[in-house]
Amino acid sequence: MLSKFVDPEVARAIDALPNHINEFGFDPWGFNPEQAKIYFSLAKLIFEYFRPEIHGIENVPAGRCLIVPNHSGQFPFDGLVVAVASLLRGDPPRLPRAMAERYFPTLPWVSESFARAGVVVGDPINCRNLLMDDNAILVFPEGARGCGKTWQHRYQLENFGRGFMRLALQTESPIVPVAVVGAEESIISIHSSKTISKLIGAPYFPIHPLAPILGPLAYIPLPVKFHVYFGEPMKFEGPFDDEDQAIDVKVKAVQDRVQEMINDGLRARTSIF
Amino acid sequence: MRRVLITGIAGGLARQVAKELLSRGDHVVGVDYRELKNREPELKDLEVFQANYNKTVIEDIFRKNSFTHVLHLGRVGNLKESSGKRFDLNVVGSQKIMNLCVQHGVTRLVVMSTFHIYGAHPANHIPISEEEPLRAGMDFPQLADAIQLDNMAATWVWRHEDVHVCVLRPTNVIGPMLRNTISELLRQPTIPRLLGFDPMMQFLHEKDLADAIVLACDKEQRGIFNVTGRGVIPWTTAIEIAGSKSIPLPSSAVRFAVKYFSALPEYLVNFFKYPCVISDKAFRDSFGYQARVSIAQSIETTVAEARELARQKLLAKHSR
Repeated sequence: MLSKFVDPEVARAIDALPNHINEFGFDPWGFNPEQAKIYFSLAKLIFEYFRPEIHGIENVPAGRCLIVPNHSGQFPFDGLVVAVASLLRGDPPRLPRAMAERYFPTLPWVSESFARAGVVVGDPINCRNLLMDDNAILVFPEGARGCGKTWQHRYQLENFGRGFMRLALQTESPIVPVAVVGAEESIISIHSSKTISKLIGAPYFPIHPLAPILGPLAYIPLPVKFHVYFGEPMKFEGPFDDEDQAIDVKVKAVQDRVQEMINDGLRARTSIF
Repeated sequence: MRRVLITGIAGGLARQVAKELLSRGDHVVGVDYRELKNREPELKDLEVFQANYNKTVIEDIFRKNSFTHVLHLGRVGNLKESSGKRFDLNVVGSQKIMNLCVQHGVTRLVVMSTFHIYGAHPANHIPISEEEPLRAGMDFPQLADAIQLDNMAATWVWRHEDVHVCVLRPTNVIGPMLRNTISELLRQPTIPRLLGFDPMMQFLHEKDLADAIVLACDKEQRGIFNVTGRGVIPWTTAIEIAGSKSIPLPSSAVRFAVKYFSALPEYLVNFFKYPCVISDKAFRDSFGYQARVSIAQSIETTVAEARELARQKLLAKHSR
């Protein structure tokens, strides 16, 4: 019934993916291409709402890789846009497996639909297994701190975690730095309410400046324009279990590159819409 | 000739293992705290004792038979038994069996544990290997005896030089001869699922597990090993294969009902919410094990008899 909503472009791209599923159409994490087609068709509508300009998609290699963007905008629309861009504009099409917060499996429907669309719990063992299977991984090393950043910190990266770098070294995967410009303006937060976030068990709760007047309507993302820059793959070498200090140097190189690309993107942007 | 003791002989799995060993000419003795009813003709050479594993009768069974192999399959998972009784049978009883093995020169001990001790947890990665923490105990004290049994057996693996101990942690075991919760659930015409959740699950056919136990009995490798069947599917797909309708229920209501009204163990509810997918790579690598029954066959054979009975009931009703 739902298959009526499948976008032919999405279906073609998903059919072109390498097939790692069992006779019932599932991989061990619960990814299912047929249901993914429905979810990605929906995602494509959101993608088009932000009218993204995609640059450098040819930098996403064919084999295993880690796609590492900045994180912003309160809701993970940046992840969605990067994933849809990789799927529909990538050559060959890539379906990046997004590493999600550990609480996502506790949310009804979200847990099921995310899993069918290829999202997995952000855990080093999941990530390593998927990389060894030559998947593209979408990971936000800023984590929820990045997504929930407030207006005065826009386009300033939170410190990247080290996990992604150790996995890249261990599995010899290239890292594709990505800058997403525009997501910061989609939903504006001036403050994160600790009281409410604790109450609902979320990592942060954004307060929109217009929330007192508009209520929940303030959280509808503005139709801003996204600019997505995929940078050249970065290759790192060295022991994956090196001391934190040695890993930090490599992490910083990626973080600096993403920051540079953001700054370039901001300079090139003429309007937020 | 090998002289084999099998505990839990009243269960469908132990009987299957006994048949296989008898057909190969082993001398097999079975023991259970329950009565062995309706003995199949293939089991006519089986010697059976009804005894609690924690009582002295079992000592005499060891004295009379100089066992070479012991297959301890008789873990009590049934929560209808009080937790005190389960502790006595599973922990005290298993310890007694281990000590008897050491005293009487048994060379091989296979202990049946379960994957339930890993727990179905939202942060579970996929797949889970044998080294992972056993999260189930954190939320569900009902599993304490199962975890302690597994822990005890794990220490025996390296503590006792002469007894080669192998611990098996199988995933959901299903099959026509089994009356466990998951098999009985699949036989229902309408099967509940939790609203908004559809975790990935594995199923292991009783025949494959029986083969795994026989394989473990034949070889000498020590260690703890996960055992799985073929492939991973969501619970709703399993329901479809079983030919049943699924009924979605809110998980809070199910948890409440299970806690106060039913014999279904509470910890099982989480297995229908979060995935607990295990890897049997270690077992395949060191024993050459390979599950043979496909997921579809496993589920279909498990429910076949119940479906046939339902069909006959329907026919009888209409012909009346």
